[in-house]
Amino acid sequence: MEHMFERIDPRSSTPLYAQIAARLKVAVAAGELSSGDPLPSVRQLAHRLRLNPATVVQAYRELEAEGFVEMRQGAGTFVRDVTPERRGRERAEHATRLVRTLLADAAKHGLGREDIIKAFDQELGVKTHE
Amino acid sequence: MSNAVEIRDLHYRAGKSFEIRDLALNVPTGSMYGFLGPNGSGKTTTIRLMLGLLPAIKGTVTVLGGRVPQESPRILARTGYVPEAPHLYPTLTVAEAIRFHASFYATWDAAWAEELRGGFGIELDRRLSRLSKGEMGKLEMLLALAQRPELLVLDEPTDGLDPVVRRDLLTALLDYVSQHNATVFISSHLVHELERICDWVGVMDRGRLVAELPMHSFKSGIKRLRVGNAPALVGDAPFVVLSREGGDGAFETWIVRGWQAPMTQWFAGVGATLKDVVDLDLEEGFVELLRTFRAPRA
Amino acid sequence: MFKQILYTQWKWSRLTLLLLAVVGFAIPVLSVRDFGDPSAGIWEVRDALDSVAAWGYAYPILAAAVALLLSVTTWGPDHQGRHVYALSLPVPRWHYALLRFSAGVVLIGLVVAAVWIGALVASASASAPPGLHAYPQALALRFALATVVAYSIFFAIAAGTNRTAGVILVLIIAIFVIEVVSLLAGIEATPTSFVLSHLVVWPGPLAIFTGRWMLIDV
Repeated sequence: MEHMFERIDPRSSTPLYAQIAARLKVAVAAGELSSGDPLPSVRQLAHRLRLNPATVVQAYRELEAEGFVEMRQGAGTFVRDVTPERRGRERAEHATRLVRTLLADAAKHGLGREDIIKAFDQELGVKTHE
Repeated sequence: MSNAVEIRDLHYRAGKSFEIRDLALNVPTGSMYGFLGPNGSGKTTTIRLMLGLLPAIKGTVTVLGGRVPQESPRILARTGYVPEAPHLYPTLTVAEAIRFHASFYATWDAAWAEELRGGFGIELDRRLSRLSKGEMGKLEMLLALAQRPELLVLDEPTDGLDPVVRRDLLTALLDYVSQHNATVFISSHLVHELERICDWVGVMDRGRLVAELPMHSFKSGIKRLRVGNAPALVGDAPFVVLSREGGDGAFETWIVRGWQAPMTQWFAGVGATLKDVVDLDLEEGFVELLRTFRAPRA
Repeated sequence: MFKQILYTQWKWSRLTLLLLAVVGFAIPVLSVRDFGDPSAGIWEVRDALDSVAAWGYAYPILAAAVALLLSVTTWGPDHQGRHVYALSLPVPRWHYALLRFSAGVVLIGLVVAAVWIGALVASASASAPPGLHAYPQALALRFALATVVAYSIFFAIAAGTNRTAGVILVLIIAIFVIEVVSLLAGIEATPTSFVLSHLVVWPGPLAIFTGRWMLIDV
């Protein structure tokens, strides 16, 4: 489970709780976490990542507010049933985020659409568009 | 009580050159408050004033709802303190020091003290004067935690310690916080350490508190901008320009505070181009903030 | 709390304290050495009593030594750490000082007990001729009071800052020097001797030290 949080970056401007929540959302969307799976306890995760437990609580609460998990008093936090449509939406959002970052980076270095597409074709081994 | 620590109008003076003036500080209950500042800025003095170890000339200090120093004993019974230099009696052994300390606190948890001691690997019959810096640091933390305090005041607890010991100390601290609703006030030079665990940050410089705000506000608000065709005057900008530096050919580097994404439009309005917006981590933000307080405005 | 404070104080002073206790036992025993012969004549008895009186000077010196030792070991570690630890403990300063003072008094009891036992042994072993009596209890009690008085004074000095302690010590030395100089120069009444006579003559606090300390007397 902890491999998922390897690249949590305290120095990033994205708040830590948002980073944790985002990782877990992706895990649910990709099927790594199935419905009914327990998340690590707040204490355990805070201990492993050496973070403020309040940060973990905030992440779990955000996930609960968005319907991904349910916090059961005394028992822990568990993944909820997430519909395939919802999963699909999450995946799409995640992909969009990745592409946005890529494009912003590319623009910074003066790379244009053609450069990007060429690189995609090369890496994916498939022609996308003319 | 919403604030574990409230300081107002604090004045203190020591000798001719060092002075703390008009200090106001708030530590919200249940928060982890990181206290930053360069050497000599008055962090340790502020902590000592907070705990009644030094007498203030003027001002009020309220800790856990009680006034310092009038109600100090009751407050100190609920406050765990790790000072910046070891303060225990050096001729005692570890076992004796623990027993001595424990006798003063009704909330002492002997079982957990023993568990911490074993986990930290400190032997009972070692004399305190023979402990290494890391072992002494662990012992001080042990004594502060086993007391089961509501407030922890830590003055550079990991200073000069190797990464393994630092990790052990922080883990013990975080474990405590996750089990008890404690407020933590921690000063440190290791800004990155504070960055991962603190939700509030206070910055001290030359006897004054120059910033106090939630961690994410502090970080998200300060950015480094690369600006092309920068205007000469920045009077009406929606953000605060902390510093500007030219020198990169056509581009200037600006450090700004209070930045929000829609503000990119302002640049178009003044005929400048905004090439880049870079996040600053806590250390960079802290350095930039101090620079602006020391250098005259451009 | 008190138990721990007593423990630390015992740990810091035990070696010297035990030594002083042995001395406290020895003084009364040695002071009656010359009372061996039951058939002694009046001149021998007079000499024996003088011997007891001579040994008597050792008691106030021992009392001062014990008091000084305990005050120094009480406050030494705190002074070294500039009192940071004691100030950070959840007891008011006066309460902490009282705990330390009381622990010192308990330890004084050890030396007092040694003196008392020595006095009892000495009284039993010495054959005093009729008309002379042994006063072991009175002696031990007087020793106890003298030590506590001296301890109170040294304790109060040691509890203050290093600067106050230094000032008071300088004052004491100054008074001593003035007294010695005026004695040598033949000057009778100095302002310091006025102060001293009020301290040293009953009901002054230092009166307990003056006069003769006699285990065996009329």
